Amino acid sequence: MGTEFVRRTLPAHIDALQECFAFVREGARLSGLSDDDMNRLDLIMEEFFMNVARHAYPAGQSGDIELGYAVPAPGTLQVKISDSGKMFNPLASSPPDFSRGVADRPLGGMGIFLVNEMADSLSYSWLDNRNTISFTYPKSEPSGS
Amino acid sequence: MLDIESTQLEKAVLVKVAGRLDAGNTTLFQSECDAWIAKGATRLVVELSNLQYVSSMGLSSFLAVAKALQPKSGALILCGLHGLPRQVFEMTRLIGLFPVFDTTEAALASL
Repeated sequence: MGTEFVRRTLPAHIDALQECFAFVREGARLSGLSDDDMNRLDLIMEEFFMNVARHAYPAGQSGDIELGYAVPAPGTLQVKISDSGKMFNPLASSPPDFSRGVADRPLGGMGIFLVNEMADSLSYSWLDNRNTISFTYPKSEPSGS
Repeated sequence: MLDIESTQLEKAVLVKVAGRLDAGNTTLFQSECDAWIAKGATRLVVELSNLQYVSSMGLSSFLAVAKALQPKSGALILCGLHGLPRQVFEMTRLIGLFPVFDTTEAALASL
């Protein structure tokens, strides 16, 4: 328990997705989060992890993703995800128009919407040629929307 | 992590999806549905009572299957949605785009 971050570097590749889940779940367990909370946390992690795995590095070029967690208080987890790929702020995208029907509804955009609904204090920074996302989990107030 | 079992019934194809639907295996689900659609199936009843997790990529695959069925006047019908998967279908308002039933029996009876 504390504000120090436990860190792990993984290949930014879909093959490491399960390892990403397992690593952050270590923090979730230390924090005493429930299985349901861990599944929601996986959803957030998958969104950011896959974003880096698919878009951060040029095709055919391997790259890393650094994960970190801290447990500042029971029931709370702070998470950081960083990469040295191209500058990209995934939080800047706008949510899809959910009023559209099947034919017109875009396939993308749902993940970042869900992340915004489930995570607190979401932030993005570009520093020393690294993208870093940080957030606190879970959200302190359930969203009413 | 993910189990998919399909059965051709009289009025529809029943696709049971159990476990976790994430970026690593969503293509399995979509390929299974695409294969049935390619064989001429227009009604897919997807049973989700043992689905524990679905990520945004999984959600997109349901939407993609529905898009593939629409020009054929087909339908993607969901049943057994509960827990976190139901929550994310509701939050993203996908649940309004598909017929949703509590049980497989109710879904099949609607056809």
